[in-house]
Amino acid sequence: MPRPVALRFVASVFAVALVAGCATPPPADDKEAMAEWEQVNDPLEPMNRTIFEFNQAVDKALLKPVAQGYRWAVPQFGRDRVRDFVRNLRAPVVFVNDVLQGEPDRAMQTLMRFAFNTGFGIGGLIDVAEPGGIPYHDEDFGQTFAVWGMGEGPYLVLPILGPSNARDGVGLATEWLSDPFNLYMDNIGQDWAIWTRAGVAGLEKRERLLDTLDEIERSSLDYYSALRSTYRQNRTAEIKNQLDAEGKR
Amino acid sequence: MLDRRSFLTAVLAVSASVSARPLLAAPAPDAGAFILGLAESAMNTVAIKDLSDAERSNRFRNLFVDTFDLPEISRFVLGRYWRSASEAQRTEFQKLFEDIQVYTWTRRFKEYNGETLELGTVKAEGEDFIVDSQMKRAKLAPINVSWRVRRSGETFHILDIIVEGASMAITFRSDYSAVLSSQGGKMDGLLDVMRKKAEQIKLG
Repeated sequence: MPRPVALRFVASVFAVALVAGCATPPPADDKEAMAEWEQVNDPLEPMNRTIFEFNQAVDKALLKPVAQGYRWAVPQFGRDRVRDFVRNLRAPVVFVNDVLQGEPDRAMQTLMRFAFNTGFGIGGLIDVAEPGGIPYHDEDFGQTFAVWGMGEGPYLVLPILGPSNARDGVGLATEWLSDPFNLYMDNIGQDWAIWTRAGVAGLEKRERLLDTLDEIERSSLDYYSALRSTYRQNRTAEIKNQLDAEGKR
Repeated sequence: MLDRRSFLTAVLAVSASVSARPLLAAPAPDAGAFILGLAESAMNTVAIKDLSDAERSNRFRNLFVDTFDLPEISRFVLGRYWRSASEAQRTEFQKLFEDIQVYTWTRRFKEYNGETLELGTVKAEGEDFIVDSQMKRAKLAPINVSWRVRRSGETFHILDIIVEGASMAITFRSDYSAVLSSQGGKMDGLLDVMRKKAEQIKLG
């Protein structure tokens, strides 16, 4: 049952927030320290760091080794099929967000991709649209809220899911509750499919990020701060669609 | 020192071949050529196989010191802490920062796997140029890399590298100021942490 679980999840995050307390802002007369504080946008830093440490422990013990094993055991071809399948399953959510952001061309691309890949790509296992000239792009509710003018809110580290913020966290919950695949599986009582899909998508993402995260950890003095900065900058670029092939002029 | 003359020759050769391409004709063809030349020079000197770690580090250090504006980057990364630091602390910071960058990049080049750099557009931004490029990788999605460069006499200096929308300078600034505040704002505390980091990631 995705609904109660998601709600309980959000509630527990805020319960931890109350226990861990907030960071102390610098004195108001220190203008530069104040500017830095606002720029970092992390008033919940003590809580976030606690969750970050927890995530790191889980990652080292479980998620990273599994992702490494996946990369080692499954050849590139197999991993590409998993990636294409997971992406295609997300197409309805991407489509809705394209529409909500007022991007009819991109919405049409997503729709065509979904039709071609589901039909000719064996249920989405093979991305036939990309070589056919319709490239993949991603969207999510967090980005849509941003396009609507909503601020990011404080930086948040979510348990297991990692770097986020108030706006993207709400976006994530919205997606979880509105995804047609999840709704359908919930309706017919096949909850295992929802969790399996989430697990596979997570594994695929962790495998993709293996080198990037290692690199950030290795080159930074304080991994937490470096990751926070990277996440926020990367999100800003994603919101402006600067990283997509057709978003770059 | 790195063979500065052969590097310049490479830059000139590339700029001659690139200037014919209409894509780069507009604002600053040479800023793009500078990046391409740098990439080529790195491939030919630092990324080649069968180099000892020390030799690879040395080669990269020469390239790095020549092409990056380290004093300007250091000022940006330290922000307000730069102004209150003593001359000795600034020198020590630049040295350690350089070491950390050199070791990080040497490892990247050691793991070089045939990636190539493809130039995108070049646009002027104030006195700087932003050079867009894509790093093409075998069987993996390309990575968007933009370079902020500033003219410096006959050549250019790099001020920042923006990878998938994330500026390295801003990330370092955020990272280093977090360490500084956890060290009570003391430069010597940061220098200690940097010294340990450099030791830890040093190759060989």
